[in-house]
Amino acid sequence: MIYFEKRENISAKLKVVIPVVSLIIGILFGALAIVVVGINPYAVYKSLFVNAFGSWYAFSETLVAATPLMLITAGLILVFKMGIWNIGAYGQYIMGAIFSSYFAIFMPPGVSKPLMLTLMFAGGAIGGAIWAVIPAILKVFWEVNEVITTLLLNYIALYVLKFLMYGPWKNPKSFGFPLSKPFPSSAQLPVLFEHTRINLGLAFALISIIVIWFIIKKTNFGYEVRVIGNNPTTAKYAGISVGKNIIIAMAISGALAGIAGMVQVSGIIHFLQVKINANYGYTSIIVAWISYLNPALCLLSSILFGGLESGGYSIQISMRVSYGIVGLIESIALFSIVGAQIFLNYKLRWKK
Amino acid sequence: MSASHHTTIVILLLSNAIKAGTILLFPTIGEIFAERVGILNLGVEGMMLIGAFFGFIVTRLTNNPYLGFIAGVLAGGIASLIHAFISITLRGNQIVSGLALTIFGAGFTTFYGQRWINMNLNASFENLKLPILSNIPVAGSILFNQDIIVYLSYILAFVMWFILYKTMIGINLRAVGENAKAANAMGINVYRVRYIWTFFGGLMAGAGGAYLTIGYAPFWLDGITAGRGWIAIALVIFAMWDPLKAVVGAYLFGSINALQFQLQATGTTIPSAILNMLPYLVTFIAIVLTSIIVKAKHIRPPKELGIPYSREEK
Repeated sequence: MIYFEKRENISAKLKVVIPVVSLIIGILFGALAIVVVGINPYAVYKSLFVNAFGSWYAFSETLVAATPLMLITAGLILVFKMGIWNIGAYGQYIMGAIFSSYFAIFMPPGVSKPLMLTLMFAGGAIGGAIWAVIPAILKVFWEVNEVITTLLLNYIALYVLKFLMYGPWKNPKSFGFPLSKPFPSSAQLPVLFEHTRINLGLAFALISIIVIWFIIKKTNFGYEVRVIGNNPTTAKYAGISVGKNIIIAMAISGALAGIAGMVQVSGIIHFLQVKINANYGYTSIIVAWISYLNPALCLLSSILFGGLESGGYSIQISMRVSYGIVGLIESIALFSIVGAQIFLNYKLRWKK
Repeated sequence: MSASHHTTIVILLLSNAIKAGTILLFPTIGEIFAERVGILNLGVEGMMLIGAFFGFIVTRLTNNPYLGFIAGVLAGGIASLIHAFISITLRGNQIVSGLALTIFGAGFTTFYGQRWINMNLNASFENLKLPILSNIPVAGSILFNQDIIVYLSYILAFVMWFILYKTMIGINLRAVGENAKAANAMGINVYRVRYIWTFFGGLMAGAGGAYLTIGYAPFWLDGITAGRGWIAIALVIFAMWDPLKAVVGAYLFGSINALQFQLQATGTTIPSAILNMLPYLVTFIAIVLTSIIVKAKHIRPPKELGIPYSREEK
């Protein structure tokens, strides 16, 4: 019979091997899926890779996709570390985009760029934070399961956005399309590198990763977060205010997702619409998990998954391969990594 | 409008509410049993999508809705085995594995569904008027002029309630969910019980999905389940892990769905985004209220929910 035997200590080598092998398994299963529909997987992957990392412009687009992933994942790491399951980054991102767009759409045109961008940044952070604090409060005071509330709030946020886009915020000159007025140039994040779409948002993302690393490693709050993650009951007896910490961590996580939404509309799209790539909110959960909730690794994984997302969009257009392939690869990689966690602590043994 | 016309509209509305509720009832009952043995499966949305997809394709290819339904049910069951293997055998994190299953279902059906988008089905379940019962005024034409799958769901809810509370199978499965170690000491094979009921949860999610594409919205679209899997997971709490209470919850939410479509069809001035938001908003409010009641009444989820079990470790 096969059984698991506990290891003396966690295998450091496996910690590196598991995510790499998981991604490879994802890619292999993806290849199998592509073969079934009669397309050459090698050609698809080659094109995906070239479109993600093959040139400076391709890589710049990968960084554009990695930016919101970094921002959202940084926040998720903080809450996941304390065992709080914020699945609501999708909705928090949308709320951030809506709140920040309010200023871009309704402020008088004469407002200076620094003031406008500051307002939009604050709006994005507050919008996202509100959407995360609601489920946090419900959890802390009434033990309402946050997985379900954050998820339902995603759908509610989506329909708030749709309501605005088909109704009061629709641009009368958009020929019936659900788009807002285009943002004035004062509401657009400055581009960092010419001929690319990389904007100041990337700087926000890098700073947020450093800040989250600092919070977790160097502050008292970060220490408490880790204690709560290990055992909430112990934390309570140690005099840690668990509820307060949950609400603060969720507010930070929501704010970062909201800022990601702001960066997308202000830095990339330059108007508000229904499709603002809110799915980054779900992809970030995978990125956080594949990074072992480690801020430094999240930088690397975000770029990798940014490449997968950006390359995935390109092959959809150039090779007519459905974007669903990205979800397939991501989910199988995630299955592998969750399934493989056991090998960090256990060895596979054979007994007759 | 005459009074009888109003009655006709109400009957039609509630009859559709039962159909919309059936889509939710199957997966809710399935998830109740998975959670009762300690397995939280957040992959319901993904399994429903897979069930909806295979149900659609097989019905389209064979023109036999019953074959399609069986295919959808089995496909949902097979999908659940990935989650079962990871969370039971490999003791992986159930929340992440379940989310992966939802992402998998969405990715899989988007990828393979590309060539079926906007195609319709010509075959569907036919309504079967039950003798005597369907003659009951109003309620008869709402409850007993439905298709076989709806009748199947009535029977299922009752049978599953009976199994859960009145049989040895039920006692054993609840023991596994409340205290796996004690259950093991009683001679119950915890792994096997968990596999069986997680698989059952998958079959039921597949059934809900298949009923959606074959019996309710006979066409294919990306993400056609539109969050119903998450509503089903919320309904588990709403039903307080009881299959009969799940019936109430499922039909309540089915009514909201039916009402929303009815309003849209009659050309209301309420924006469609607000109408579409309604099921999620109501679920959200309901789940908050239920959680407060559950807490006050000291009802709680199965104790072992989400916790991996290992026979070797004492």
